[in-house]
Formats: sequence, structure tokens, C-alpha cells
Amino acid sequence: MTIMRINVGPIHPSTHGVLKLVVDVDGDRIENITPKIGFLHRGVEKLMETRSYMQNPVYTEKLDYIAPLAWDELYVSAVEVALGKEVKEAAQYARVILLEFQRIASHLLWLGTFANDLGQLFTSFMWAFRERDIVIRFLEDISGSRMFYVNMRVGGLDKQLPADFRERAYGIADYIEEKVLQYPDMLDSNSVFMERTRGVGIITRDNAIGLGVAGPVLRASGVEEDVRKSAPYYIYDKISFRTPVRSEGDSYARYRIRYEEIIESINIIRQALDSMPDGDMTGLPLKLIGPAAKPETVVVSRELPRGEGLIYMVPDKQKPYRVSLRSPAFINLAALSHAAKGLKFADLFAVLGSLDVVMAEIDR
Amino acid sequence: MREIQKEHLAQECGNIKAKGFDYLKKITAVDYATYLEVVYITYNTETKAQELFSIKLPIDNPEITTITHIYPAADWYEREMSEMFGIKIIGGNGERLLLEEWNGTDPPLRKSFAWGKEYKRREI
Repeated sequence: MTIMRINVGPIHPSTHGVLKLVVDVDGDRIENITPKIGFLHRGVEKLMETRSYMQNPVYTEKLDYIAPLAWDELYVSAVEVALGKEVKEAAQYARVILLEFQRIASHLLWLGTFANDLGQLFTSFMWAFRERDIVIRFLEDISGSRMFYVNMRVGGLDKQLPADFRERAYGIADYIEEKVLQYPDMLDSNSVFMERTRGVGIITRDNAIGLGVAGPVLRASGVEEDVRKSAPYYIYDKISFRTPVRSEGDSYARYRIRYEEIIESINIIRQALDSMPDGDMTGLPLKLIGPAAKPETVVVSRELPRGEGLIYMVPDKQKPYRVSLRSPAFINLAALSHAAKGLKFADLFAVLGSLDVVMAEIDR
Repeated sequence: MREIQKEHLAQECGNIKAKGFDYLKKITAVDYATYLEVVYITYNTETKAQELFSIKLPIDNPEITTITHIYPAADWYEREMSEMFGIKIIGGNGERLLLEEWNGTDPPLRKSFAWGKEYKRREI
């Protein structure tokens, strides 16, 4: 048995960002994978200690540029706990709707690129991006920016939502549902896609818990864990929705979990729109942030599109003393070697793609 | 937050895991200038309870034992912490750098980190 070492990357089209994998192969069989990360390390946690509370969302948004709003909201929530501020009721509804639209956009981008990596060339990519663009344009009209919205403020949003928000949101939810329901015809009936995902990259339930994987990867291994259910925030406890769980733990299960989450997000958006009250949703202006209410430490969790994000913050007077970020993609990538061991080399990207990693968030 | 002694870390982790806290969410550290605090966040996937505990370490030559044999998820968290705070991890993979490629003599997340100093890339 001779082991050959192959360096993959640092550039590969299936990764969002720069990742190098050192893969030891025996013939075509993967023996071990050592991910080399850190190419995008900017020292975000250190930089955040030097900026005032509300200068920092600019950094948190760039952690995950596919779902910037989710990280923005997580950080602002931590600041709200530190300052002891409540979120206005109308703003809670608005945040939930925007976050679920962000989840849809993130999962759609993942779905398009994942199927593309597996040889389902271009159709899925075009379809997913067509739908995603409508969501992105909607968020742009609300916030003024296509990618980095920065519209979360302490206690609410930066401004009232536009007058036609409700009507447009219903329309977009209907449109996406109609289109997304066609996807299984394209993917689940495609034998190439099925052969390359089913039974590939299995993470068992015990290993998923032990390795600490997060979000859709954890739920695909049979663990029913969703922060929106286990520690509900905002109005999630008033909404009835399902947490998709599957027991196979393979790449196909991870695809199905994300796909079903898109449908569930549409369901959540509709329910939130139905009961959304009118009212003021503007938060505090950026400059009017008083000194921290001095809780010793702040621990806030949110269900991001990639899994549970957590902020451990030690607040200080005008700026955080320390911000520690738990990135779900970071811990999912750590499980890659376990999931891909023993597979054929060509399956490596089916597994890597199914973990949905974003390097900017991993390297921080 | 409950504080434990660093000699009891492995034993304490074993006890917590036996109580059902089977999922490790995060290991992180904070530099309080006079001492370092290492924070462990564990989670029970059945009861959905979260448990935090911390360990205080001296600012000079801080050392801690690995808990990767109890929580495999600890590996990358420990390595990151080791690199960012200069905390030596006894056992495990703590020696291997994870994120950065400079000479790790001045851990960047310590408050004593010198801003604006030029660092050389580590030879690989």
C-alpha cells in the first residue's frame, strides 16, 4: 500500500473562499484529509474589540457574505442583551421575515452550486439563482444594498419597511414556493445526482454529536436540534413550523434537509406576515448607544442558515471587551475528514459541498 | 458561571458528559490582563439545556489538558485557542497551528498584543 499525498486548492470552484485540503490517498481511496484554513484570516475578533458597538456589524456581515443578515442580527442581539434593550414588537416580526428570506437565499445559492459540482450542469444553478435574485432584490429595496444590508439597529431596524412590503413579500413567497416545488423533478429523478449523493459521506448520529457538527448537517444525522425550537427567540414560539430531520446522515439527507427548510421558511414567512402588527420598528440611531448595562457576560445563540451561531461577549463601556464567535461552518469543516474517509477521491467534493462551508466565516 | 480547577478539567468534563451534556458548543478564552479565563460551553441535545464553566489560568505560561478524548469536537477549538492566546494544550493536536502562518510568539488575541508591529511569515 502506497500513500500518495495530493494538495487540493487553495483555490477550488466549489468552495466559497480559499481552502487547501491535503488529501492522502491509497489508489483512489481517501485515507485522510487535513484541511488547511486561515487564508482569509483577518482577525475579526480582535478588530471588534477596537470598534464601538455599532461599528461592528460591518465586520459580522462579512463573516458570511451569503447570509449577511443572519450574522448581523446575531451580533445586534448580543448588543441588545448587553445594553438591556428590548426589540419592538413590529420589528420582531420584520426581523423574522427578513431572516427567513435570507435563509431561503442562502440555501438556494448552496443548492445551485452543489448540484453544479455534481455534474448537474447549469440548469439547477440557473434556476436557483433566478429565485435567489428575486429575494436579493427584495432585500436590496428594503435596505439599499444588494449584499451587505447593515439594517439591524439596537431595538429594531434602521427604518420602517416600505408600504408595499407585505404585498410583495406574499408575492415572492408564492413565486418561490411554486418554483422550488419543481426542484425534486430535476434533482431527485436525476440518476447522476442520486448516485453521487446517496450513501456518500455518512456521519452517524453519535459521531455528529461527538464531532459537534451544526445545523442541517446535524439534523441530517437524526438529531432534532434547532435553536428556533429549543430556545425560541422573537416570535418563533407563536409560529407552527416543522424542523426537518432525517436519519441517513449522507449527502443526500443534507440536501433534503436544506430543501425542506426552504419550504418551511416560506411557511414561517406567511404566518409572520398574517399576524404582523403595524407600528414603529425603528431602532436606536447609531450614535445614541449608552454605556452597557454590565451583565458579566453575554451568550446569545441563533439558528443561522448553516447552523447554530453563538456569540460569547464580554461587554465594556463603549465597545466590547471581547467577542468570541462560534461559526457553524468552522465545526462542520472539522468533520470533513471523518465524513470523507474511505470514499473515492471524486466524492470528496460531493461531501465538501454538502457541508456548505463559507471560508470567510471559518477563518474570521 | 461555575468555575472549576484546571486539575479537575478532564474529570469534570467526564461528569458533565455523563449527565447528558453530550455536545460541545464552543471553547473560548478571554484575556483579563491579570489572568486568562477559558470558557467551555456544553449542551444537552435531549433536554436542550446549556451548561457553561470556566477555568482561570495564569497569564505566564498557561497550560491546560486536552479534552478531545471526551469531546472530539474540542480539537479545532483548542488549537484555535492555543494559537490566539498562547495557551499550551497538553496532549491532543494543540501544537499544530490552525489559522495563522506567522511566528506565534505574540498571540494576537492577548491584550498585550503589539499593534502595528511587523510580523514575519512562518517558514513551512
